[in-house]
Amino acid sequence: MGDASENSVLRIDHRLPFLSAPFSIGKNLYQYRQLLSHFVSRDMKVKYHNSILGYAWSVLEPLALTVTFYILFAILSDSEDPFRPLTILLGILAWSLFGRTLSGGTSCIQRNSSLIQKVYFPREIFLFSKSGFNILQFLLSLLVIIPLLIHYDLTPTKQILFLPLALIMITMLSTGLAFFTSILQTKARDVEHMVTIGLRISFYLSPVFYPLEMITKGRIPEQYIETYLIINPMATYITMIRSAFTGDALNIPIHNLVITFVSTIVIFWIGAIYFIRKERKAVKFI
Amino acid sequence: MSNTPILLRDVALDYPRVKKGAGFIREIVTRRFKKKPHEDKWFRALDKINLEVKKGEVIGIIGPNGSGKSTLLRVIAGIYAPDEGRVEVQGRITLLAGVGTGFNQNLTGRENISLTASIYGFDRKAIREIEEEIIEFSGIRSFIDDPMRTYSAGMRARLGFAIISNLDPDVLLMDEVMSVGDHEFRKKSRARIEELVKSDATVVIVSHSKAILKSLCDKVYFIRQGQIMNDGDFETAFELYETVAA
Repeated sequence: MGDASENSVLRIDHRLPFLSAPFSIGKNLYQYRQLLSHFVSRDMKVKYHNSILGYAWSVLEPLALTVTFYILFAILSDSEDPFRPLTILLGILAWSLFGRTLSGGTSCIQRNSSLIQKVYFPREIFLFSKSGFNILQFLLSLLVIIPLLIHYDLTPTKQILFLPLALIMITMLSTGLAFFTSILQTKARDVEHMVTIGLRISFYLSPVFYPLEMITKGRIPEQYIETYLIINPMATYITMIRSAFTGDALNIPIHNLVITFVSTIVIFWIGAIYFIRKERKAVKFI
Repeated sequence: MSNTPILLRDVALDYPRVKKGAGFIREIVTRRFKKKPHEDKWFRALDKINLEVKKGEVIGIIGPNGSGKSTLLRVIAGIYAPDEGRVEVQGRITLLAGVGTGFNQNLTGRENISLTASIYGFDRKAIREIEEEIIEFSGIRSFIDDPMRTYSAGMRARLGFAIISNLDPDVLLMDEVMSVGDHEFRKKSRARIEELVKSDATVVIVSHSKAILKSLCDKVYFIRQGQIMNDGDFETAFELYETVAA
């Protein structure tokens, strides 16, 4: 690891990166990649520690939610979704990736205060170890859809490429928001609770346990649909993950896709600038 | 590598007065009407610190509580970035300030060794090389594969000290940690510290003990209200310390 080499120099002055912030973060992540993987594997070990079923919990938890929403839906709705269990399951997995990265990221600076006060390494490692851990969790849980794919006789088409794209965008969005919340959390613990409530509300407002069509097909006046898609990027990303597997066409206008991608990248970029510039002051508050 | 591993130039650091909580919300609400002056929210914890430590040199820092000693160590360790001035530290830095934090209670002792070492920048190969030495020194080999939460406080302290003291730092910063554990381990850890101090590492020791500083250090600085008050001479430092403390 670069920083541990004998010739390393810790040089600290006032100059801080501005527009290049995401690149200096990227450089740090590469330099500290071993530490990053250590943190991720620590989280994995701790998660399954002392549990009899271990890994199975990664699958059982989303499955239980899926069954619940499936039953709820069968009672409440008469819409015809041929892949309903798959739709719900993928929605829940995608949402967990987003929500857990954001809520884990929000508290990670404050939770690791004892470590931060002992040794220096770039603090964004904490955030990205949460992102990495949750991507890994997502991929592990994803195995559970294989039986469903066989059942529906779905073979991956080239649309499967939506999956990695959506994963990257969800991670950028949640980490980008966590750049802000993790710093604010050091000053006021209220932020954590606000994030929890915000996530709960947006869970129901996003097409997590129902398909996007329920929103776009008639239940909402047409002029609001575009606004909805713009302020809720997760609606797009969840739908992308679904069509990655079902092969259905993505019923989202191309200009909406562009707006969503650009806004996510902008959130990440500004978040990175904010984090790099505020992180030094924030550690004095923990 | 140049001959001055630690170099501080006109370093100043502000520390927040109001930490967090209800005041923060009130502040947001009232900010429109009354902007608090900078001095009300921050105090100068370090003021125009100039410090140069040569390779292999051992320096001591003495001063009353709240004078900025630990903050100074944290600045040297890179934990706090200075608000003014420049800090340059070369090589691997280890801060010894209370032991055993960063430990995860659910991981085993061995897993915690590798986690802690990786935090200090060791790669997998380097970790394997020092692991055996750490376990041997800690003297808790038979428990090393048990989860940390089953350890007694003394065992945790032993392992913490064993890890930190085996990281082979170029720059060693010690904050009042001279010995841990039972009588036997205390002797062992004290000997280990003396060994580290006498090695070619560059060392900064914060202590209230005149005897310890006198026996280990080449220079002793007296620090008060964030300022260094002498040029490194022992007698001046202790004299100032005793007149202020009294």
